[in-house]
Amino acid sequence: MAIYFILGIAIFIIAICIYYYNRFVILENRIKNSTAQIDVQLKKRGDLVPSLVKIVKGYAKHERKIMENVTMARSLLLRTKGINEKIKAGDQLQNALKSVFAIAENYPQLKANENYLHLQTELSAIEDKIAYARQYYNDAVLFLENASEKFPGVLFFRLYGRKKKDYLKISEETKKVPEIDL
Amino acid sequence: MEKIKTKIRISFYDQISKNKLKSFFLMFIIFLIFLLLGWVIGSSIGSEYFTLIMIIAVLFSTSYLFIMYYSSSKIALASVNAKPAKRENYPQYHNSVEGLCLASGLPKPKLYIMENDQINAFASGRNPQNSIICITTGTFKKLEKSEIEGILAHELSHIASYDIRFMTLVAVMVGMISIISQIFLRSLWFSSFSSGRNRNNSQAIFMIIGIVFAILAPITVFIIQLAISRKREYAADASAVKFIRSPTGLIKALKKINFESKHLKLKEEFKNKKVINKAIAPLFFSDPFRKKMNRKKDNLFATHPPIRKRIQVLERM
Repeated sequence: MAIYFILGIAIFIIAICIYYYNRFVILENRIKNSTAQIDVQLKKRGDLVPSLVKIVKGYAKHERKIMENVTMARSLLLRTKGINEKIKAGDQLQNALKSVFAIAENYPQLKANENYLHLQTELSAIEDKIAYARQYYNDAVLFLENASEKFPGVLFFRLYGRKKKDYLKISEETKKVPEIDL
Repeated sequence: MEKIKTKIRISFYDQISKNKLKSFFLMFIIFLIFLLLGWVIGSSIGSEYFTLIMIIAVLFSTSYLFIMYYSSSKIALASVNAKPAKRENYPQYHNSVEGLCLASGLPKPKLYIMENDQINAFASGRNPQNSIICITTGTFKKLEKSEIEGILAHELSHIASYDIRFMTLVAVMVGMISIISQIFLRSLWFSSFSSGRNRNNSQAIFMIIGIVFAILAPITVFIIQLAISRKREYAADASAVKFIRSPTGLIKALKKINFESKHLKLKEEFKNKKVINKAIAPLFFSDPFRKKMNRKKDNLFATHPPIRKRIQVLERM
């Protein structure tokens, strides 16, 4: 009789070990996936920059500094590795783009250009998507944090030697207000 | 002196879990009624007849379940003559849904559009991988981006919570109870003409209880089913806020829908009845058959909560 009891407990313990191991795998993979999603959007943003620069240069021939800023920010983004650095570079690029949209206000013909409007809409949509992707990333980190701190998950978390991930913070770049030379 | 209303803030996480819990509880009640009905009827007519009734009920219900499970989306879309929404024609529609899918971690559903002047939308599909969202042309004409996003987030929440699958299960259980009750009552009617079998006293008592149950059960579980539908609607509103992290767009959309229904002309209402099949009305964002009379009271027979209450709850988030 006792043997069945012990067998039952053993199976239960094994099942619970597997459950928590898989849980952490799933939650960590979710975080990895959301990192990749942010990366996809950042790349899309970078890809649209050359077309935007070309169109704006056609109308605003003298705004050289701002266009250079944008191009430089884009190359920085392409060169950067690691998600936190990439997000920082992406925010820098977004800041530079904001300046471009600001100066476009002075060129009504540019504002009426269909291609420009299309690019502006796309870039705006990408900005929204990056915000949502970051939100999801932080949600995923929260899930992992909860699972790794609640009882009895906390025991297994330490047992399996897992590490917690950090939240994405608002970078200094986005907090800065873009300078506009009037 | 101005009255300062202190609103107690509620979190969308709590709203979601509270309403889901209530809906599971109500479904459990339906299941209990099902068991009770089965026991009472079984005790009154003997096990052979009862088994026969159960087999018929299970056959009907399982085939309904299979059909709904695999093609509920196709049926719903065909009944409103929906067309796929191409990206070139509806870039904002696609961009909004893609953003919300990023926020929710869901795969992107297939997007459709239906010709209708009312502001409305519905979602269908047995799981997120096989889901669709359909929105009316009227919505794009009358609402701005944040409001449309609110509605789309609400529909996406239905998909994320497996609401379609859940409500189908509830409908099947309610259907089974109706079938069993109907067969039982009809069989009594016919058997009263044949030379009666000898029934003992306890069977007679169960017979009476059984008749009462068989009459009351279907309407009771139907009311419960509608209550469940309303709870899932509240949960979907709260989940939408979870995705967008702001209730503003959804509140503005609901206010516009409320305003629209106040001024709904009679001929538009009639047009709706022709276009939208009553069977899929529960899937919609707001009751497409709302009449002016029903708006004020908390209707027992409504598939959706009153718009006023939905706005109230959202404003506290």
